[in-house]
Amino acid sequence: MERVAIEKKVLSENDRIAQALRERFAARGTLVLNCISSPGSGKTSLFERTLEGFAPETRVAVVTGDIQTDNDARRLARFGFPVRQITTAGACHLDARMVEKSLEGWDLTKLDLLLIENVGNLVCPTSYDLGEQSKIVILSVTEGDDKPLKYPGAFAKSRLMVLNKIDLLPYVPFDMEAARRNARSIHPGIDIIETSCTTGNGLDVWRQWIGERMREAVARSRPT
Amino acid sequence: MHEMGIAGSVIEAVRVEVARHPGTRASKVGLRIGEWAGVDVESLRFCLEVLVKDTDLDPLALDIDFRPQGSELDIAYLELED
Repeated sequence: MERVAIEKKVLSENDRIAQALRERFAARGTLVLNCISSPGSGKTSLFERTLEGFAPETRVAVVTGDIQTDNDARRLARFGFPVRQITTAGACHLDARMVEKSLEGWDLTKLDLLLIENVGNLVCPTSYDLGEQSKIVILSVTEGDDKPLKYPGAFAKSRLMVLNKIDLLPYVPFDMEAARRNARSIHPGIDIIETSCTTGNGLDVWRQWIGERMREAVARSRPT
Repeated sequence: MHEMGIAGSVIEAVRVEVARHPGTRASKVGLRIGEWAGVDVESLRFCLEVLVKDTDLDPLALDIDFRPQGSELDIAYLELED
């Protein structure tokens, strides 16, 4: 019997494609954000409110993933920015090859921001690098404030947690402080923003956060 | 249920390694899986069993090194026998 050391990532092919995408985007200063959450946390609504706040000349595009239907792409296309739907036909996550294929035909040199809405799932999408600069996890207050403890991978790998649907706080037993504490017990440095897509509360902070990340992406793409 | 896709990637990697060692067969594969890798270990074990069953890789033992608070999802080693 012989033991052979392999020391290879199981998803090495996905990681190879993701890294190539990341390098393409980084060279152009394009910010790519991969948004992950449970189904129904308000990802699409957050994207709608985000897109409606951009000036028409903003160079933003969206890739949205779902197991079935192009409902989300149709909702998001109303704002006039390029949108592509990935229908995974059963797969519970997006992978780098799906994203690469969805970008075909787009002039990436004319893009400053690519928002990716992953399939609603807090587990599987965390395993797949899509070539993003940052993952963002969205947690709505209609879920449990212990979700960071139950699904630590999504919170450990995300740069930002958006606590969404805060307008519903009077009606649900969601402890904001516990949610913050739980998220930071998994990822001490995670940024946290509170939003309501219904009232608009916190959306200015969210947009400001994206703007700061966009400026960072541009700064990194320029030789010093 | 992305464990089936992950199991497929493991099998693919095993076959590549076996092809590099003609005249041998794989008897055991060692995986390193972090708590935060987003993988259900029992589900992955089941998927690997299903994919291997009645193929030239059957039987293939599985050794999982589970890492608390880790994000690893690696193939660590393969045991080959003549």
